[in-house]
Amino acid sequence: MVSLTANKLQHFHMKAESRPYLDAMHAVLTHAGWTTLSKPMLAGMTVNGFRMAVHRRLTAESTTAYNWHAEHFLAADFIGVMCSSKAEFTFKRTFPLYRKQAIGDIRSSIDRGIAAICWHNGQFVAIVGYEDVEDGSGSGGTGNDSVRLFYADGWSDEVKPFNDRDFGVGEDRENPSPYWYYQIFEGCIPMDEAAVMKESFLQAIFKWETHDGTLPEKDYACGAAVYDAILQALRSGDYDQAGASETFRCMAVAKRDIAAYMSEAERRWPAAVEAAAHYYRVAELFTGIEAAAINQVDELCGLFQEAKQAETQAIEALRQLVRETVDNRFHDVGLR
Amino acid sequence: MSSVYLHHIRMKRESKSFVDSMYAILTAAGLFEGPKYRLSGLSGMAFKFTVHERLLPLSVTAYGQWGLEHGPAVDNLGLLTIWDGGRTRHLTFEHYQKDAVNWIKASLDRGLGVIHWIPEFGIIHGYDDDDGVFFLQDGWSQEDHIVLYDNLGLNFTPFWYVQMFGEKVAVPLEEQVLESARLAIHDWHTPFKTLPNKDIASGKLAYEFFIGALKSGDFDEGGGRYILDSYRYARQEIRDYLSEMQTLWPEIAEAYKYYAELSGLIADISFEHSGGVSAMKDKLAAAAQLEDRAIQQFSKLSVRYADPSRTIETRWNTHSSR
Repeated sequence: MVSLTANKLQHFHMKAESRPYLDAMHAVLTHAGWTTLSKPMLAGMTVNGFRMAVHRRLTAESTTAYNWHAEHFLAADFIGVMCSSKAEFTFKRTFPLYRKQAIGDIRSSIDRGIAAICWHNGQFVAIVGYEDVEDGSGSGGTGNDSVRLFYADGWSDEVKPFNDRDFGVGEDRENPSPYWYYQIFEGCIPMDEAAVMKESFLQAIFKWETHDGTLPEKDYACGAAVYDAILQALRSGDYDQAGASETFRCMAVAKRDIAAYMSEAERRWPAAVEAAAHYYRVAELFTGIEAAAINQVDELCGLFQEAKQAETQAIEALRQLVRETVDNRFHDVGLR
Repeated sequence: MSSVYLHHIRMKRESKSFVDSMYAILTAAGLFEGPKYRLSGLSGMAFKFTVHERLLPLSVTAYGQWGLEHGPAVDNLGLLTIWDGGRTRHLTFEHYQKDAVNWIKASLDRGLGVIHWIPEFGIIHGYDDDDGVFFLQDGWSQEDHIVLYDNLGLNFTPFWYVQMFGEKVAVPLEEQVLESARLAIHDWHTPFKTLPNKDIASGKLAYEFFIGALKSGDFDEGGGRYILDSYRYARQEIRDYLSEMQTLWPEIAEAYKYYAELSGLIADISFEHSGGVSAMKDKLAAAAQLEDRAIQQFSKLSVRYADPSRTIETRWNTHSSR
């Protein structure tokens, strides 16, 4: 096969809207022509919008603290998209081997016309192009000196370059990322949208009940436990104000997505009316949370208290909606 | 249309089926030199010990989610590795199966065999496009198994699993041994590796499950024999591995003594031996204590060195199957 020395995808649009992973995934799948779904629909069907986790000090990291490898594979799998992905620490001895593999995989993906997702400079970005560079740095994966990758981060339409040396670690020399992560998309199969939506309700119940095994429980809370963790942090005063604002904004966007998603569910299945109503209430409360000043602890606590109640009721309503399948899955509601 | 048949790969069942597979593939490719116990030790695989509450034979391979167990094992050898697997009932399986057929063939073209869940683990060591088949070894039979490309991954269990190896970087022996001790510590102190299921225990708790099943009398005897054989073989591997590495640190030398004593203690336990099940329970209880002391030595060693891989939380690793 002839290997190109440069390739850049055209007409790629990504918009960062506080959905850390989904903004990138939506852009890649839309560009590939594999989905015409809106972000809220994708948030629901991929289960991403149902997932919650916070660091107990409400740091900004909360918005991306979860099992990327598992959750992003599943996000694709639920909607019938095939992918390959890998994540590890950048300080591992095997990292150069995997970097080379990753760059090769990403190039091949771009040559197939599909952008890739990777972790870069503290966010999920879309890689939309590459170019071989002869600069003598010697870390390239194709016999050339190095490879320049072009990425979209959603903050502007401008596509920015980075050298493959910065894959994973990022461009901030002072604060290299300990993580590298990439995901390429390999194809898609037609799915029954109604079945995907029903599965997402089961997975929503699972995410509500289950702690993410990659996060130590003393430092993080997941699912239902997130609300108490937030209340405790706010009451104790021991929390990161900027991080909390960012975390609440992302949560609010996710809740609005799910509200929109549930309105589609309600349109399809009148029986979903109750679950949808509770999620509308959750989204409304989060709009209040977003609008409140981050140091207005009493006001925030009141809103979170109510949101906790509303979302608990929403999950109960979902459970009723899919009760036979919940029962069939016994103690493991997440196992398809 | 092409074909490849890697004659020099010869798998032999002795250790865990994954170790036997890996050993045959890596030694044939010149990616590992030395005895099998060293591979089993350095990869941390020897320390994996899981027991089903009824001693079902699946205990021996149910030591966690395979990718997440085998990944760190292979990483400690300095090798790149890629795996795929999951539930064959999932709609995307067909795509991943076809994709795997391609990358398995590419690996064989490079002279590297591929690990495959038969079950248990075996090796794909050849393919023939004319017939659309892979040639497989299970380590027991001299005869190959034949698997059609279209049937790859389909077996009586609900899951499929394939794993290949890539290039290698040098890792200093001290680092490998330290990491293997840390993998052992983790397995020893992680009670359940296949959550949310709690019917299979790992490490320290695995001993309790073993003894508990013997006490209750409600167990699968064939499974019990298999677990016992595998467990005993692994303890000998650990003993030999630590014996070789004991000059590196005093803690390894100490741990070696415990494992040497343990190996002697369990050398003759069996379901047939005089004393039978009752003697077995007592010896297993004593063995658990010896192993616990050995792991304490590993912990003592581990805390002396920084461990960034376990200090920073990961964005991958443990999760339940979905």
